[in-house]
Amino acid sequence: MKITRDEARRIADLAHLEFDDAALERMAAEMTKILTYIDQLREVDDAGKIAGAPLRETPMRDDEVKPGVSRDDVARNAPAWRDGYFIVPKVIGE
Amino acid sequence: MSDPLSLPFTEARRQLSARDYVGASLRAIGQHNTKLNAFIHIAGEGAGAPLSVPIAIKDNIVTRDMPTTCGSRILAKFVSPFEATAVSRLRAAGWSIVGKTNLDEFAMGSSTEHSAFGPVRNPWDTARVAGGSSGGSAAAVAARMVPAALGSETGGSVRQPAAFCGVVGLKPTYGRVSRSGLVAFASGLDQIGIMTKTVRECAELLGVIGGHDPLDSTSSAQPVDDYGADVDSGVKGLRFGVVSEAVEKLEGEVRTNFDAALEILRRGGAVVERASVPTIGYAIAIYYIVANAEASANLARFDGVRFGHRSARGKTLRDLYFDSRGEGFGEEVKRRIMLGTFSLSSGYYEAYYGRAQAVRARLRADFDAAFQRFDYLLTPTTPEVAFPIGAKTDDPLSMYLSDIFTAPANLVGIPALAVPSGFSREGLPLSLQIMAPHFAERGLFRAAAFFEKETNYWRRAPKL
Repeated sequence: MKITRDEARRIADLAHLEFDDAALERMAAEMTKILTYIDQLREVDDAGKIAGAPLRETPMRDDEVKPGVSRDDVARNAPAWRDGYFIVPKVIGE
Repeated sequence: MSDPLSLPFTEARRQLSARDYVGASLRAIGQHNTKLNAFIHIAGEGAGAPLSVPIAIKDNIVTRDMPTTCGSRILAKFVSPFEATAVSRLRAAGWSIVGKTNLDEFAMGSSTEHSAFGPVRNPWDTARVAGGSSGGSAAAVAARMVPAALGSETGGSVRQPAAFCGVVGLKPTYGRVSRSGLVAFASGLDQIGIMTKTVRECAELLGVIGGHDPLDSTSSAQPVDDYGADVDSGVKGLRFGVVSEAVEKLEGEVRTNFDAALEILRRGGAVVERASVPTIGYAIAIYYIVANAEASANLARFDGVRFGHRSARGKTLRDLYFDSRGEGFGEEVKRRIMLGTFSLSSGYYEAYYGRAQAVRARLRADFDAAFQRFDYLLTPTTPEVAFPIGAKTDDPLSMYLSDIFTAPANLVGIPALAVPSGFSREGLPLSLQIMAPHFAERGLFRAAAFFEKETNYWRRAPKL
């Protein structure tokens, strides 16, 4: 599977990552090499005919309030915080 | 009295007070850590009264009293608001956390060269890697800085560094140990693992940290066993299958050592025969799709908004996301996020993620069939000894192939143990891997303890 520079740019955008031209070129080449190795999975025929691991239902619990994480601890790690809100650049308007 | 740190903790704790044991550990860390770089944070004087046995925790497992960096710039100053269940259970059982160990960033690597805090050096040869991603934990135990350490596994990240550093490394059954507080890499594969000098110590620790946790809905309700109960029972009549597809192309010292290990088991009365897991050769390909896909989702949370590094550049929210992640993540993490995003993206999802999951189901069926005939399956833990620092950093694919024998167990969820099996001509550790069916850890410890008793490799320590 060959990854072109444009394809790499599209994927980077989806992944919220940015690369300069040289880094993007390098990334595309490395991905191509790795995906070419991974392409051997196509050799396995009838792969889809085997059932997967037994599924378990997600365990549920009663809707009771339980102790959580303290706001002060959360605030301590926040890059920008005011009055219980995380502050980010303006999204609406301009 | 001999150095307590050279003894199993089961003996040392009977000889020393908690204060003296933890003190000895902190002194050893002070002596060796600059050279080995195994620890990112070391517990300070004011860390509270030492309780009993010192233990180190891989730095992707959250603690309240020390930062959790995941080996990344993006979390360099992060102090978790909650503690991992495994850590709480250790504290409740009286263990003292002496430090957080170095790792490949976000547990993505097989050498601990991808840490933002520099590589970990192998105590047996400091020009070589300690393995990864739990390289710091492995080096800390091998160098006798601590008697035990927690690591984490996604594709072999406890067993492979254990092999490279000559210590015991356990990957428990998926769901055996709570993942609450283990920073997620691949949620369907991750497990906290244990590293010690001896098998008995490892068995005891699994009893401490294992068990159902309401905070982890993937944790198993299977009762916690008495994991060390059969360590003296020997291997007479037990059936060991040698995974032929894994072993047939092996040559050199790893092969000779592995064959010698099989003889030791046979001499103990075990039945050792050829086994077949036909799709095992696809494990790395499956792993690098499935693990990276899950990682791309799990690492989306690191965006500079609520915690971690936030870029000072940029004006818009989009800039904030892109710049914070760009500045905070290392190369290998970005590469894996890219691969994962690709394999989940529209147009490629079926051909890559869908197909990998289908072949994975096949792999599981192959393992189930093999366990119909055998109690255990065997391979060497790694195809080679610890490689020199820098040898593989330019070739990601060659680095990934380090996990060729370890990744299968993560993909199918079975427990696996790496036990020291000797030394190469250059004095580098070699390791035997024993795999067992789901929740059969007690049997793993039984087989490994026999092998350990016959060989005693753990008594040899690196010269530091």
